[in-house]
Amino acid sequence: MAAAANPIGDRFGFTWRPELAAGILASLDRVDVVEVIAEDGFGAPPRARRALRTLARQVDVVVHGVALGPASASPVERRRLDALARLVGDLEPAFWSEHLAFVRAGGIEIGHLAAPPRTRETIDAAAANLEAARRAIGAAPLVENIATLIDPPASDRSEAEWIAGILANTGSDLLLDLHNLHANSTNFGYDPIAFLDAIDPARIGAIHLAGGRWIDAPSIDAAGPRRRILDDHLHDVPPPVYALLEAVGARCSRPLTVILERDGAFPAIEDLLAELDRARAALARGRAAASHSAASGFRRAAIA
Amino acid sequence: MSLQALEAFLARIYTDHDARVRFLANPRDEARLAGLSDAECAALERIDRAGLEMAANSFERKRQRGTVRRR
Repeated sequence: MAAAANPIGDRFGFTWRPELAAGILASLDRVDVVEVIAEDGFGAPPRARRALRTLARQVDVVVHGVALGPASASPVERRRLDALARLVGDLEPAFWSEHLAFVRAGGIEIGHLAAPPRTRETIDAAAANLEAARRAIGAAPLVENIATLIDPPASDRSEAEWIAGILANTGSDLLLDLHNLHANSTNFGYDPIAFLDAIDPARIGAIHLAGGRWIDAPSIDAAGPRRRILDDHLHDVPPPVYALLEAVGARCSRPLTVILERDGAFPAIEDLLAELDRARAALARGRAAASHSAASGFRRAAIA
Repeated sequence: MSLQALEAFLARIYTDHDARVRFLANPRDEARLAGLSDAECAALERIDRAGLEMAANSFERKRQRGTVRRR
């Protein structure tokens, strides 16, 4: 397995998609882990559920939820927790994860992940929901930073401060989505490296990589940016995301699970495997830079 | 209660075109009608208007594709 060549134990893989299934199964010597979307498993017919169990016997899996919405003042829905618990019990993943988002409120389904106001109150609300999820599932989820096209109104702190607050108040570690970080930092004009510096690297447990595209902003706000990056998972991982992965490698010494997300416009599996190889190389460069820096520091200390 | 009301208000303007038009025409009054606090009304008056439209369009496309399951 590719992971055996990695002394730290980093794992690299893909989100499971039917369109990629044959390619992934034919490439298990280069794929260490597969991420299963939880909601795809909830309503799956028995045959598809058996296929997921078979998959989990062939390769390490992780489970990724998209519809729980724990960063909300409303309690997470019990039926969703129960479904997650059944799926996690079935697949025995290395971990499960969810997004720091709300997806419904006041009886309205938003349809996707919405960023809540970044406040002390939403930190506490998220912590309460994540604790309920931990009790129901038996393990705390990793929590993912989301991409947003709107700077969430009524916020009183930065995204990094808000996420650090949630990590400090829960047992959840961070699933750091580097394309979301790239998109948000570009769209809202902050330094992604300063974001990384604000997060305890020991709390980063997994990484998402993806691509997106520029979309034009409407002309109603002449003072704002004229275009923003949409995180659409339909394009190749752009160079700044690999650079951020290298920066993570230079900061983080624990083993990381790195997942490449692709939701459509699927290229050949060889192209996706090449992206995975670029990710391995970027993380290894960061790890090596950290080792070199630590060794230099040791030599300096010894000379002094 | 106030955070729940704020989330519900955001969900409405993110998903309902007419509600969004009314809000953008008169943000403070629409927020006050929804029972939000003075601070929340003031924050919504400063909302990222371009981002609101872009996010609403993105959410609509996601709903059409059914990205977040309603099971």
